[in-house]
Amino acid sequence: MFALLLATLTQSLTLIPLALGINLSYTILRATDMTIDGSFVLGAGVFAQLVTLGFSPYLAFVAALVCGALAGSFTAFLQNGGKVDPLLAGILSSFILYSVNMVVMGRPNINLLTTPTLFSAAFVHSSVWGWLSVALLIAMIVIAFYSVLQSRVGLSLRAFGDNAPLLARQGYPVTRLRVMGFGLNNLLAAASGAITAQIIGYADIGMGVGMTLIGIGAIVLGQHLILPFIHRHYLRAGSELIAAFVGIALYFFILNGLLRLNINPIYLKLLLGVLLALFLRTATQKARLSS
Amino acid sequence: MSLLKFEHVGLQYPTLEKPILQNIHYTVQKGDFVVVLGANGSGKSSLLKLLDGRYKLSEGKIFLNHTDLSTLSLRARSHHIHTLTQNAKDNLFFSLTIFENYQLIRKGQAEEATGSLKEYLSTFNVNLADKLDVLVERLSGGEQQALALALAVLYPPEILLLDEHTSALDPKTAAHLMALTAQIVQERRMTALFTTHNVNHALDYGDRILALKEGRVHACIERSEKKNLSTEQLLAQCY
Repeated sequence: MFALLLATLTQSLTLIPLALGINLSYTILRATDMTIDGSFVLGAGVFAQLVTLGFSPYLAFVAALVCGALAGSFTAFLQNGGKVDPLLAGILSSFILYSVNMVVMGRPNINLLTTPTLFSAAFVHSSVWGWLSVALLIAMIVIAFYSVLQSRVGLSLRAFGDNAPLLARQGYPVTRLRVMGFGLNNLLAAASGAITAQIIGYADIGMGVGMTLIGIGAIVLGQHLILPFIHRHYLRAGSELIAAFVGIALYFFILNGLLRLNINPIYLKLLLGVLLALFLRTATQKARLSS
Repeated sequence: MSLLKFEHVGLQYPTLEKPILQNIHYTVQKGDFVVVLGANGSGKSSLLKLLDGRYKLSEGKIFLNHTDLSTLSLRARSHHIHTLTQNAKDNLFFSLTIFENYQLIRKGQAEEATGSLKEYLSTFNVNLADKLDVLVERLSGGEQQALALALAVLYPPEILLLDEHTSALDPKTAAHLMALTAQIVQERRMTALFTTHNVNHALDYGDRILALKEGRVHACIERSEKKNLSTEQLLAQCY
């Protein structure tokens, strides 16, 4: 059981920024942003390529975040002026990003096992130090994201997701807010990609497949479990973050649990998909009833 | 003093053969409470949407304080014009609290304590002051529209556009909100354009009446003429 919990904790830790990004797009901006599948790989690919070329891991990490934000901004740019539907814009960006990621990486897989990364020195010291340094970076990302959500910009992003035409009539720059929102959620996905590549020791062109779906499933599951107990709306941002943590941890707990039950990996996505569908259906039904 | 001037205004949807508005020529004076009457599809709401920027003119010009309205951005327009529609979802952010809606209206200006909002809302004679932390979607229809009105006039715009904003409410709440609206418009010296099907409201509150029919000006009734009209006569003149 301890091994199961440890595996769950370490796997979900690296995907926390991704879960926060999906929380931003799905819950706050109210859009299903499929760009995330591509920007997750972009973050991993940019980081891996730059450190392999000898750049500082810090610089490589910042570059990965910037590239993720640019990918999100491109998706927002496609949507501006109502020209492309948000879902379609995300699918299109993700499609384009497959080629971009191949160009960035130069090959389908980059090995990082022998390359210095942000955490390699800490992991050489000990595994505990390694995971503590990962947790520290994640904590910094969470605090920064929470501060944005609690700021006036965060409130404007919520208002954008609620009623963008009204926000525009009130004189807010909705085009800029869309770029900001989509840029931020893809920056977070790229951060997760770059961190994951360092933990698993490689960046792979296919590592982002299904990430958006996993994230949405986890968010819905987490919110389903947490939000009914939160009645104070000033606690909303904090409870959304907790819901994202709980959701992603529960997803990996179920995944690892299924693996430990010796379920044939061929059926893994089928089973997880059915479970996510059930969560989504129950959550939608509950939301309908409460409205 | 002329505040708003429509000069041969026309509006055409690309998908429709018939124009929505044709050759509208009308002047609104500062401080007027203009009631716009007309059957469904006569172009009342479209006229207001041209003013707040939701629609773009196909023909003619609209001048606000002698400035061509089409040269103003949505942001610039929002300083002069505010719209309330019958659908409260168009007027407020439903998934945000009352206080958050207030913060958005205040934009970048210094944060005020909730106390000042409570005091402000209590002047509107609606029981909202104790609900600042409540999501707007949980309020009643009457409370939502009263809140929308209160927030709309927090920084009184020059022109308040009222697009049948009481029509989705029960008669008692609608009458209360209508009286409140008229009082606020007068107290804050705003100019209002109010679309409605209720001819009694037109007679009670309107300084002037503009009747539209099939997208054209059908009748313009001035203050002096309105005084002597009965409901039946007004119906006959406007529809």
